[in-house]
Amino acid sequence: MTGSTRQSGAGDRAEAPPRNTACYVYGILPEDVEISEDAVGVGDPPGRVKIIRHGEIAALVSDVDVDRPLGRAQDLVAHEQLLDEAAAEVPVLPLRFGAVMTTPEAVVEELLAPHHDSFAAALKQIEGRAQFVLKARYAEQPVLVEVLTENAEARQLRDRIRQLPEEVTRNERIRLGELITQIIAAKREADTRAVVERFEPVTVGAVVRDPSHERDAAHVAFLVENDRQADFERAVGELRSEWGDRVEVRLLGPMAPYDFVTT
Amino acid sequence: MTVAVPPAGGGGLPGRSSGSGLADVIDTILDKGLVIDAYVRVSLVGIEILTIDVRVVVASVDTYLRFAEAVNRLDLASQQQGLPDLLSSAPQKIAHGKSKGVAQGVLEAAGEKLQDLMASYAEEPAPRTRRRQREED
Repeated sequence: MTGSTRQSGAGDRAEAPPRNTACYVYGILPEDVEISEDAVGVGDPPGRVKIIRHGEIAALVSDVDVDRPLGRAQDLVAHEQLLDEAAAEVPVLPLRFGAVMTTPEAVVEELLAPHHDSFAAALKQIEGRAQFVLKARYAEQPVLVEVLTENAEARQLRDRIRQLPEEVTRNERIRLGELITQIIAAKREADTRAVVERFEPVTVGAVVRDPSHERDAAHVAFLVENDRQADFERAVGELRSEWGDRVEVRLLGPMAPYDFVTT
Repeated sequence: MTVAVPPAGGGGLPGRSSGSGLADVIDTILDKGLVIDAYVRVSLVGIEILTIDVRVVVASVDTYLRFAEAVNRLDLASQQQGLPDLLSSAPQKIAHGKSKGVAQGVLEAAGEKLQDLMASYAEEPAPRTRRRQREED
């Protein structure tokens, strides 16, 4: 379970790590948190997760071998899972994937100490709140039918493409695809605005994310009070049934407030 | 005689409302979250390529051609438009065949590609973080 080649023992007092080991930092939490013994993080074998405390705040860290590249699927998922499970219980300021500092002392001196007050203040702000991400995507057929129904130029292009051999319609096909992309982008903008407005009463913040797919209808991160979570989820359910087959709606979370922390 | 014991923590985990795939994870942790200048970045493998693909997928010529292809294969019957010639010969669901997922993003493909890597991770015990002595209030 623990890396057999490392000398990191079970003690959590400041031990000198081996030279090729560094300190991977997941996020910032309040000082009064505890982490269970079996929590593991990034790396292969996965590093045991530890807490480094300073004043009112703490950093969630694990040893990482700097000679070994990071970024495998397991590493990405371990990072997010650790933070999200923490976020379900306590306020967490998540760091972007890949934050590695040389030593535990560096974590205190260069990260926790200089930013102590602003981190502590930010933790108070997100206390009792968690992030959710709403991902809505137009179903392919319905949205294409909508586009053709609404737009005469798209219909003409489609007809022309059907009548002529494929070799001579490359320009028409590109133009048609571009037109569809533009029309879907306009729909996305309207639907995203509607989604943000609709959830305003049950959320305390919203950040519109860039679309991650050409058929995205909305991609929005929401900050939700824990005691409004049921209301929020109910509202998402209503949206889902209203949109029906037109849009597929997925809800991710609760997760750490990745979209609401800024440097 | 034997009792099947569920894995530790079974059922008690704070819910992830829906399974979030690798693509969702990439969306979130590579792009968002605190960044502090002070830290040293170790090398990352494969990530740059994945994220570049994600950006390109929105509005490229390739996307346009895939959309055009999807429209071309769209089942005309569902459009309430008179195009009798083409219709009569093709009442079957063309659109469910080849064009299914024709406009799927690179992002999803990337996610699928790495899915086997994910499989092993699912078994790992769930880490827990909690607040010290918060039960009292």
